[in-house]
Amino acid sequence: MFQKTRAFRTFFWMALLLIGLFVFFPLLWMVNTALKPSAETFSSYFFTGPLTLENIWHIVTDEKIMTYLKNSLIVSFGSSFLATAVCSFAGYSFAKFRYRGRKFVMGMFMMSQAFPQAILLLSIYALMNRTGLLGSYWALLISYVVFTLPVGTWTLKSYFDQIPDALIESAKIDGAGHWRIMTRIVFPMAVPGMISIAIYGFVWSWNDLLYSMTLVTDTARRTLASGLVMTFLGEASTNWGYMMAASIVSAIPVTIIFVFLQRYFIQGLTAGAVKG
Amino acid sequence: MDGVKNGGRLTDGQVGMLLILPGLAIFAAIILYPFVDAILMSFTNRSMLYPNYDWVQLDNYRKVFQDPYFAKTMLTTALFVLGSTILPYVLGMLWAIVLNQGFRGAEFLRGVTLVNWIIPGTAIGFLWSWIFNGQYGILNNILSALGLLESGIPWLGQTNTALLCVVVARTWQMLPWYMAFLLGGLQSVPLDQIEAAHMDGANNWKTFWCVILPGMQQTAVLVFILGLIGNLQHFDLPWTMAQGGPARATTTLSIEVYTTAFKNWNMGKAATIGTIWAVLLACFSFVYLRRINDSE
Amino acid sequence: MKLRKLTAMFLALIMSLAVLSGCGGKTNDSPDSNPSATGNTQGTPAKTEEPSSASAEIVWAGWSGEEEASKDIFQRMMSAYESSSGNRVTWVGWTWADTAQQLLIRSQGGEQLDLAQVDIGIFNTVAAAGILADWNEILGADYMGSTFEQSALDVGSIDGQQLGMPWSMASISMVYNPKILSAAGWSSVPATIEEFEQCLADIKAANPDVVPYAVSTKDATCAGDFMPWLWTFGGAIFNDDGSVAINSDAAVACVKWYQGLMEKGYIAMDTGRGEARQLFAQGKVAFYDDAVVAKGQAVSNGVAPEDVVNVCSAMPRPVLHAGDKPQSTMWGHMLVAFKNSAHQAEAAGLAQTLISDEVALDYFKNNGMPPVTKSAAGLDEVKSDAYLNGFLNSTATARLEETARMSNGNEVKTILTEELQYALLGQKTAEQAVADMASRLQAL
Repeated sequence: MFQKTRAFRTFFWMALLLIGLFVFFPLLWMVNTALKPSAETFSSYFFTGPLTLENIWHIVTDEKIMTYLKNSLIVSFGSSFLATAVCSFAGYSFAKFRYRGRKFVMGMFMMSQAFPQAILLLSIYALMNRTGLLGSYWALLISYVVFTLPVGTWTLKSYFDQIPDALIESAKIDGAGHWRIMTRIVFPMAVPGMISIAIYGFVWSWNDLLYSMTLVTDTARRTLASGLVMTFLGEASTNWGYMMAASIVSAIPVTIIFVFLQRYFIQGLTAGAVKG
Repeated sequence: MDGVKNGGRLTDGQVGMLLILPGLAIFAAIILYPFVDAILMSFTNRSMLYPNYDWVQLDNYRKVFQDPYFAKTMLTTALFVLGSTILPYVLGMLWAIVLNQGFRGAEFLRGVTLVNWIIPGTAIGFLWSWIFNGQYGILNNILSALGLLESGIPWLGQTNTALLCVVVARTWQMLPWYMAFLLGGLQSVPLDQIEAAHMDGANNWKTFWCVILPGMQQTAVLVFILGLIGNLQHFDLPWTMAQGGPARATTTLSIEVYTTAFKNWNMGKAATIGTIWAVLLACFSFVYLRRINDSE
Repeated sequence: MKLRKLTAMFLALIMSLAVLSGCGGKTNDSPDSNPSATGNTQGTPAKTEEPSSASAEIVWAGWSGEEEASKDIFQRMMSAYESSSGNRVTWVGWTWADTAQQLLIRSQGGEQLDLAQVDIGIFNTVAAAGILADWNEILGADYMGSTFEQSALDVGSIDGQQLGMPWSMASISMVYNPKILSAAGWSSVPATIEEFEQCLADIKAANPDVVPYAVSTKDATCAGDFMPWLWTFGGAIFNDDGSVAINSDAAVACVKWYQGLMEKGYIAMDTGRGEARQLFAQGKVAFYDDAVVAKGQAVSNGVAPEDVVNVCSAMPRPVLHAGDKPQSTMWGHMLVAFKNSAHQAEAAGLAQTLISDEVALDYFKNNGMPPVTKSAAGLDEVKSDAYLNGFLNSTATARLEETARMSNGNEVKTILTEELQYALLGQKTAEQAVADMASRLQAL
């Protein structure tokens, strides 16, 4: 892509070194701290002193943190699945059907992430309360779908746009119904896009603090993000070793998923976005 | 699902509408209804403490606009949003270019970079507030080991550095996100166009600005706008790192709305700030919608 | 035509349901497979209408059960009650700072809530929401009167209703590390502000790495630390009639004094109670303000309970002029029951277990929480405890925080904190900061 001139090489190495340092040093420091025995938390050695799995073990055996982890997984998987389904339907509809109000609805979907969440929360809270969903996984699961709605619908729409109309027409002539066309012909062609949207939705849900802090008050339903705040941001407990260990433990399941799916994620997100 | 299989009786348009219904239902429940409700709420003195409330007309609006700190909150928000979009955008772009060189280990680096993005924001907040801590922070340790510092600087305790700290942490968190999108964009630019440019004698710099960037323009603009909107909403890092302080230095709109509603119990006033915010957002959204329509 | 539209609607409904049920299976059965010991309250508003003859499940909420220092004791408390009553207790915990918010959210959401631990700082806010039950009705005024001292009951009484049951009561006092003081040549504690500053200077000179005084300069604890100093200088936030009184020379003098300490490096920005406790435990702080719970912190940091007094002792807050009364704020935890609770009797049973001599003594020995019942306070172990006596002596004149009786106390504290920070960061003069405090408080 770029000519390997001297200037480019200098740029390459400088960027690799500096950005690499910025990106990875804090991460390594996190691991470093998590592995230090608690008495050494504040010593400044970098992997060169005594290391132990004591902190990690403390977190892994902490039932509460494990409950939070489990809740986060349930909520994130659930909402990512829900969001992918909803976005696929909507994206397909916007790409291949013509009806009144289509552009308007599309515009609304696109804007859904722009509404101030902190303020929507007040009424979402009241609504969830009235429908009896408050404090359940559902409250979070449904609320998180809107995080993915704009990007998801748009990305998948671009995928569906690329499917030739003739393909759908010929299936219709063969007598296939709408449901069959959608599930057998259209959706399979957008699988990479769907995977990337699923990941996107997963991470958003995984990271949310605001909603999970407010819509769920029970320890048994709490997700990691708010669970970590409740556990470690307290007045009394500023235990950095545990905190860093908890951060690492909480990142591991998602990291594993990412290792396998990152290729789809990066390609899927934009493959549909750029036409031609 | 049997009914759908026989959907031949429905017109295409109706099927299309059916398909958006799930999305529309969620949109109505989670965005539209709460938003309308919030606008109504902004004319009341609703509080989390009491079930009853009165209509107070424009009182809340008057209070918000008379608040001597409201302008400052807007400024802080603008600085935060711009800073934490532009910084990771540029770094993410550079990092994408580096990782796109296809050297050995590039794919591995790409995967590991994404880890930053998936660590819960709360944990990132902890990590960086430790790095910036004035008493035992890592940054102070490093700087004084290098002899650049006499005594510790409380990075998060000073108004002129606190916001910067949060922006840096946010940059660290979001750099992978920008990198992922922009890398996808880079890879979608046809190689023959780039080679043709090089043939014509264009140097790297010129090729980047005249061929590559225009080639990935859609992605580039979309990512930027999504970044702006995401940062406007952002709550976790300023909250976990500084709770909006010191002296309101990190109080952005979303922190202000949250504190007003859930710490000071004043839902009416919180809704008012939210409504004003939404009106301002209309500008952003206008640009954003134009892009969507262009891409039709 | 209409039929077609109807069919379409119907199909849409089915489709949405299909989407929802797609992940419904996954989430709905997971609560049952939850092995967590925290127990199991259903996601939907819990209306467990079991008759109290069978074993009941009650929900107890608060923050101390979340904290490392008191986690184990809370487990012991709950099992003590569970084994004696046959009922089950589910603990629901938050951080101290989030408790008021979460309690309100939870009770407004109609979720089960039977007993809660409440700090006196937020007691009035929670009471104002009208969700608390009167202990006099549950346990009877006679029982309450015979169990507690009237002065303790008064703190939990609002408009003649006993909404709070006293659980632990003492004060927030100055805490110091005797070792650091003696290393700086101080064998006794400073009694006046003048001496105090001299002492801070000596400590700073003897050990530049130590933060001499870790007064809170951020979050919810900042205003709490500021108040007793403001009183020490003769100032107040409000007059007796509720009008704003902060705009005074005394307040300006107090803010200026804070500014002076900051300039000389005796206090630091970005310090909250959490940081102060942590640095204090590491021996990097000479003085800070804390409640008796400071003991629990020291114990969980590895100090033996009987040695605590050597590294962590209470002292009276220095006064402006020799002979003044030392100031301190009242501190305490109360137990509250809820109007909408279906298990008020069981909640009362749990509360009685918590204040029983045996449990109270355990709590006292390990966390320093002073018992409030007449019988437990009279126990020898309590009366002769050097650590507690330090607190009680220094806090004989403790007052309620001025915001404790306000439902928007948090907002008042936020204003004080922000303006104080402006002054400490040199962005406003002391006069300007105090004037802004006054005008913002008046606008409330």
